[in-house]
Amino acid sequence: MSIEPITGRYLSVEIAGAPRRIYFEEAGQGRPVLCLHTAGADTRQWRHLMNDAEVTAHHRLIAFDMPWHGKSLPPEGFETEEYLLTTEAYIETVLAVVAGLGLERPILAGCSMGGRIALQLAALHPEQFSGFIAIEASDFQPAWYDIDWFHRPDAHGGEMGAALVSANISPYAPNAERWNTLWMFMQSGPGVFRGDLSFYTRDDSLIGRLAQIDTARTPVHLLVGAYDLTCTPEDAQRTAAAIPGATVAVMDELGHFPMSEHPQGFRPFFMDALARMARAAAQAA
Amino acid sequence: MIDRFREIEARLKDQPHLLRLGRLFSETVLIEIEGEEIYLTFDKGQITSVMAGPSRKTPWRFALRTDADALEQFWQARPAPGFHDIFGLAKIGRGRIDGDILCLVKNLRFFKEVMALARCKEEATL
Repeated sequence: MSIEPITGRYLSVEIAGAPRRIYFEEAGQGRPVLCLHTAGADTRQWRHLMNDAEVTAHHRLIAFDMPWHGKSLPPEGFETEEYLLTTEAYIETVLAVVAGLGLERPILAGCSMGGRIALQLAALHPEQFSGFIAIEASDFQPAWYDIDWFHRPDAHGGEMGAALVSANISPYAPNAERWNTLWMFMQSGPGVFRGDLSFYTRDDSLIGRLAQIDTARTPVHLLVGAYDLTCTPEDAQRTAAAIPGATVAVMDELGHFPMSEHPQGFRPFFMDALARMARAAAQAA
Repeated sequence: MIDRFREIEARLKDQPHLLRLGRLFSETVLIEIEGEEIYLTFDKGQITSVMAGPSRKTPWRFALRTDADALEQFWQARPAPGFHDIFGLAKIGRGRIDGDILCLVKNLRFFKEVMALARCKEEATL
């Protein structure tokens, strides 16, 4: 028997003029690292790193469920609302959590759509953060599938979404973690994955902002899995090349959900990313 | 190549979870490999026929068109990036999916796992 060091609580904030109750988890002490989950999933994707004593010895990892995801309820009146995530709402949510938790310039680590918004924040609100780890993140990719598949009255969007995103998981991923990763998609609320993908596959506003990211002030390190069909190594490398001073690492045996699908495989790349952030902070000091 | 699909037909009989997942799937699927046509007919998740083409009178619901080398790579225990998934084959330009794609997507886990039944057993994952 064992009890994990992760603790979970709720934060009440106002977003877009309305209250939100946001679930967050944390573990560790030291430099804060705010972790963002992918589309159609939740905080559980980060649990392996939050349970990693070497990671949490010097870092306070915090992850939260976006509204509509995991344990964070959708806003009042959701029953008549079409959920479509926007860059503006996503930015407002992340900044509300930073302020609500009183985080002092955390490192921002985001995966997939979380990586996309991390780069948006690197361009638009760098003063709020001390560095950015953008995982499976790129400037923009249009959908290679029809996002409306995942919200239909005649089929289970979660099961279809899981079957689709399994294409992005590496064959090196341990089977148990492959299915734990897919389970989150299967549990996703109706229309939520579609609403996340609307942001991810239709908003290309980051492209024109990449060049304004100042990596001398806030370092940017990208990580990308070779088995990621959605954000390919080419996509991430193109994105990194457009950000002066950004660095990128290709993870040969990983896919689109590295911290969740293959925690042991991802661990050294994440540790290296944290070390890069620490070196940049030391140089700036 | 048709022997591979007969192997899939045989292995499917021993996969109760797949037969359960496919219990509503009764369709014919065309697999086209460099022009060689193979028609897989499913009835309630079971493969009831593996038929070699060409055929002009066999209706099919959706088709996977690819090449023999791509399929052999797909069936490796740990395929290279892109070869690890049927949508990956399409993404890297080594496959094409035609027909009623929504029908495929509604049964995507089932169909992917059926196709992967010919995968090398050692350390094979889906």
